[in-house]
Amino acid sequence: MRRLDIGDRLLAYLVFAAAVVLVTFFAFQRELPREWHLPGSPTLYLIGVAGTVLLCVSMVFVVTKRTGAGGSPLGWFSAHVVTATLGGVLVTIHSAGFLRYAPALLLVALLVLVILGVWARVRLSKNMAATFASREESFSPPGSENRERLARLIEEKESLLSRIEPGADEGVFSPRLKHWFSRPGLTLAYARLIGRENKLLGVRSGVSPAQAYWRIVHVVLAYLFILGIVGHVVTVTFFAGYVSGGEEIYWWHLTKW
Amino acid sequence: MGKLALMIDLERCFGCKSCEAACKQEHRLGPGQYRNKVVWLGDASTGAPDFLTLTCQHCERPACLRACPVHPKAITKDPDTGVVEVHEALCTGCGECVMACPYSAMGYDAQGHHSVKCDLCPERREKGLDPACAEICPGFAISFGEREDLLEKAHEEDRSLRDHDHFLLKPQTIYLEKIGRANGRANGVESSGLCEKPSRPRFVESPEANGVFEEKGPAFPYLHDKKALKADRVVPGGCNFCFNCCSAKFHFQGDKLINVTGNDEDPVLNGKICPKAQFTLQLHHNEHRLEYPLKRVGRRGENKFERITWEQALDEIAAKLEVLRERWGPEALAMFVGTRTGLITQKGYVRLFSQMWGTPNLQGTDPFCAAGKVVAYEVTHGINGNGNSYTPGDIGSAGMYLYVGDNQAETRPVYFGKVNDWRIRNKTKMVVVDPRYTATASKADKWLAIRPGTDMALGLAMAHHIFSEDLHDARFCEEWVLGWERWRDFIFEKGYSPDWAEAVTGISAEDIRALAGDVARADGCVIFGSRGLNQHTNSVQTNRAFMFVAAITGNWGRRGGAYVNMTAGPPIAANAPEERRAKIRKPMVRRSPAGWLSAMREGKPYPIKGLITCNNPLAQWPGQDEARAAFQALDLIVHVELFANETSAYADYVLPAAGGIEKGELGRTNDDRRIVWIDKMIDPPGEAKPDGWIWIELGRRLGFGDVMKEEYKDPGKFWDEMCIDNDFLRGVTQKRLHSVPWRWVRFPVASEDAPEQETLYLEGTTATGQPDGKRFPTPSGRLEFWTEALEEKFSKVGLSALPEFYSEKENLLGLPYLEYEHEDDDLEVISPFSKAPTGSRAARIVQPDEENLGDALRRQGFETTLITGRPPAPHFHSWTHYFWQAQEMWPDLYCQMHPRKAGALGIEDGEKVKVETAHGAIEAMAWVNAGIREDSVYVPIGWGERQPYHPWRSVNFLTDVAQRDPCSDQTNLKSLLCRITKA
Repeated sequence: MRRLDIGDRLLAYLVFAAAVVLVTFFAFQRELPREWHLPGSPTLYLIGVAGTVLLCVSMVFVVTKRTGAGGSPLGWFSAHVVTATLGGVLVTIHSAGFLRYAPALLLVALLVLVILGVWARVRLSKNMAATFASREESFSPPGSENRERLARLIEEKESLLSRIEPGADEGVFSPRLKHWFSRPGLTLAYARLIGRENKLLGVRSGVSPAQAYWRIVHVVLAYLFILGIVGHVVTVTFFAGYVSGGEEIYWWHLTKW
Repeated sequence: MGKLALMIDLERCFGCKSCEAACKQEHRLGPGQYRNKVVWLGDASTGAPDFLTLTCQHCERPACLRACPVHPKAITKDPDTGVVEVHEALCTGCGECVMACPYSAMGYDAQGHHSVKCDLCPERREKGLDPACAEICPGFAISFGEREDLLEKAHEEDRSLRDHDHFLLKPQTIYLEKIGRANGRANGVESSGLCEKPSRPRFVESPEANGVFEEKGPAFPYLHDKKALKADRVVPGGCNFCFNCCSAKFHFQGDKLINVTGNDEDPVLNGKICPKAQFTLQLHHNEHRLEYPLKRVGRRGENKFERITWEQALDEIAAKLEVLRERWGPEALAMFVGTRTGLITQKGYVRLFSQMWGTPNLQGTDPFCAAGKVVAYEVTHGINGNGNSYTPGDIGSAGMYLYVGDNQAETRPVYFGKVNDWRIRNKTKMVVVDPRYTATASKADKWLAIRPGTDMALGLAMAHHIFSEDLHDARFCEEWVLGWERWRDFIFEKGYSPDWAEAVTGISAEDIRALAGDVARADGCVIFGSRGLNQHTNSVQTNRAFMFVAAITGNWGRRGGAYVNMTAGPPIAANAPEERRAKIRKPMVRRSPAGWLSAMREGKPYPIKGLITCNNPLAQWPGQDEARAAFQALDLIVHVELFANETSAYADYVLPAAGGIEKGELGRTNDDRRIVWIDKMIDPPGEAKPDGWIWIELGRRLGFGDVMKEEYKDPGKFWDEMCIDNDFLRGVTQKRLHSVPWRWVRFPVASEDAPEQETLYLEGTTATGQPDGKRFPTPSGRLEFWTEALEEKFSKVGLSALPEFYSEKENLLGLPYLEYEHEDDDLEVISPFSKAPTGSRAARIVQPDEENLGDALRRQGFETTLITGRPPAPHFHSWTHYFWQAQEMWPDLYCQMHPRKAGALGIEDGEKVKVETAHGAIEAMAWVNAGIREDSVYVPIGWGERQPYHPWRSVNFLTDVAQRDPCSDQTNLKSLLCRITKA
């Protein structure tokens, strides 16, 4: 099967192109009609909606990756990279340069997400490659204490697993979305055991903090971003009065609370 | 089918990295991408560097698989075979599995953004082959099969398994403990207590070191689609990098070389090759190759050239040579032709050219590497080289292996793999004498950390003990050795006892006695010596001392007993008809090119004004500052080479050469007397030409065309017609070489149907080319320790035929050393040890009871002994420095020093240091490692300042032109006083 990967060079071109579009837009924004200066104008409103829809592709990626639905996870990963970049461009244009208000935090989050993603793909990949053969101490004679703790943990995992998915092999099992939905309590308990096991295996302690935590930071920030987007949509749609601060409400909304 | 696994034997692995090279070749991996890697475990209890091939453990509970967030998983475990695989098309490259594997056995492709890992080569398994690493491992350290079968085999061999299941993942890869150990803790290996905890240099593991490959990436076929590369023909041949000279198979798709593997049909080497042979791929697909003739347009050394045609280059060179001959005489042209060019070039084309031209000044690299042992063999045994073979019945049947100054594991890894395998199978004792805890020493029962330059004292003291205890083979001595009693009496008279040697060598008298006793009592002992003995001013006498030890213990002319100092040089000698040879008017200036500098610079004893060089003298010759000054004084320098290097920058003309399978040639000389033939299989790059073509074309322009015939551009025809007309080689014809799928014949074979001989000089046999019944090819037919004729020879250079101890003048203890009575600017002494008249220098042994150079240097802070030598197995001189993978394995020039030495100097591992001797200074990266004597440091050869990836100044800026053996002209490269500071 052909890999649908975006290479470092293409990624750099993509991000560069996005930056060029934004710089060009803001450089010539003064020359554009008034509607290009108001985030809620029909044009920028629709651009914001389009940007958000594109950013939502990343959510689809998260789901397809974990469920197997929708085909190649790598294809969706690449789609997430492209649509997140394009979406980022559109929502930044949608902002019209209003950077002194709370929604600007979303732009900051978006920028951090893009930088983190590109940095991880281009730079951190080399650290991942260099991780190979970095833990030769694992081939020295083992201590018994760690093994006893691990043995107890595995027993606990097996016991829980028999209730989450009877017949599954603990050695190759990891919880999926369906388990989170069908047995959330048990799955959470299982995930905790995995966390403890990972600690004993030195999963994140064996590499640099940047390598260990970049993805967690990226995912958490992405969820915060989504929450922020939802908050923004809710406030401008239902709390238009609060958002306008007594000024003209010129955008589409449902209530003026 | 049962569960599949690899079984990796720590007792057999000696860290050559052939498995890494094979894996990258098989899977087309690029820089920084690994599916396996050799790591050094280190063992604090002995200091033994335990090498371990780190690869996927194919765990029963694979942490990587569970960490994969993708569904369905991008990592799966086959329920039948147990093989854990990455499905690269599904992998999003998040790196969770990389972190999850506590064995750090999950690789990552930083360019393609996905995980990579060992899958036990499924395509090979489908064809019934073993995984690439297992097939190629020179140490027989990696086996493949069903896990249960492997466990049974380990049990049958009574081997302990390493328990490395820290994490209850149930790793399936089996590691066999070193013998005599339980759970990684040694109880069998003894050392001199100098070694604490070995480690690989920190700079080797730096991802930044690979940055140099990133711009363009590796050349074809690495990182190319593996499935699109299928071989349509496979041609047997050989590797011509080093003196192991392995048979190999070259795999082609059309005209493109796509794989290099061992020759599995070879009955001796069994398809095993080291990483260098695999790097042949990187020689023939290499953007750094010279492709066109170049003419200098800048100042000498400035490295500015213009491209010219072959016609122009050869016409102009010929015209300039004519002028040179007219003005200065034919001897003003010197030729330095290294082993890179191949034996047919050295002993065939260039020899013919020199005979027709009329210069005595033709030399190869021997005086820097092996001239001392050549002379020692010739005077003791009649001809160069031992008569033994790497077969189970000969070297494989030895009762003991003793390595003195020979790190065979890294210099001839495939031979060492065999010896080490025999050692394990037969439970044979192995002792290594070396100032460094080398890869070879790591396999030994005992490591004796000798003081550099004092090996002769060890040999003398061993003989003293053997004679004192009456342990010598009296019958062999009586019947087959001339002058042994005289030598015995001399040793006693001089008091060369183990107690005397203890203070000199740093090895306890008790250890010396034990070693001597073991050698004498063993049912066959093979004593290996090499550059550690050769590269000294006492080279000939040290070699003779150990030859004598071998002889008095009966270890000569027998199976499983020998003195092996590589290599056995075949007597290839193309000769022009007498009447067509130019008269040689003067003696060769000196046997060593290091002795030519005065002739180049000052015209003494007579001028050398032109040099044709086919090697890299401006990294390789000792005393680089002086060598470069001498090169500036030459009227003409022609450089024939594969890659532009330091010498090219000084050349007037640079001619691009073909190599190996691009031209058709012999492999190198090797320990095993095998003549390996390599066919021409592909065209050289650009306009590069075979060396033979270049010499014939040049010869034709100078009127030598009737002897250096056009048809001899075909190396096979030249070989058959001009090179083998003697009793040793007459049977090594093209027909016979091509009649066997491994493409080699072991000489001597006097006719095409004469059988090969496993062991020469056995009792009751006649040496090749000698009258019936003459067992050894000496004048007396016996081994010669002392004769009047020998005494006369040695006395001409100020020494005695009875080896008297002396060391190097730059020593830490105040030991006897040589004072020369001549410089290199006269021809007063003609060497009695060279076949053709050759200038030499007489010397005398000085007892150091007066002020001497060593004292003066020590007062200036030169308090450490510098040892130079070969780097690890992936490198060989300068050409491997143009291969990305050799550079990835060992990127930077290093200075190995003991932690206590480094601590005293405030130097940390990986820091840049300055190394100075009385002769020059260089910089290198500090490798703080306990596997070396505390009073010594080690800097390897091969690096140069014009290399493309990791350029460093050559170590030969530190060495001395003048310190040479008066018998062989061999340079001391192993013992110079130096000073180390932070750079």
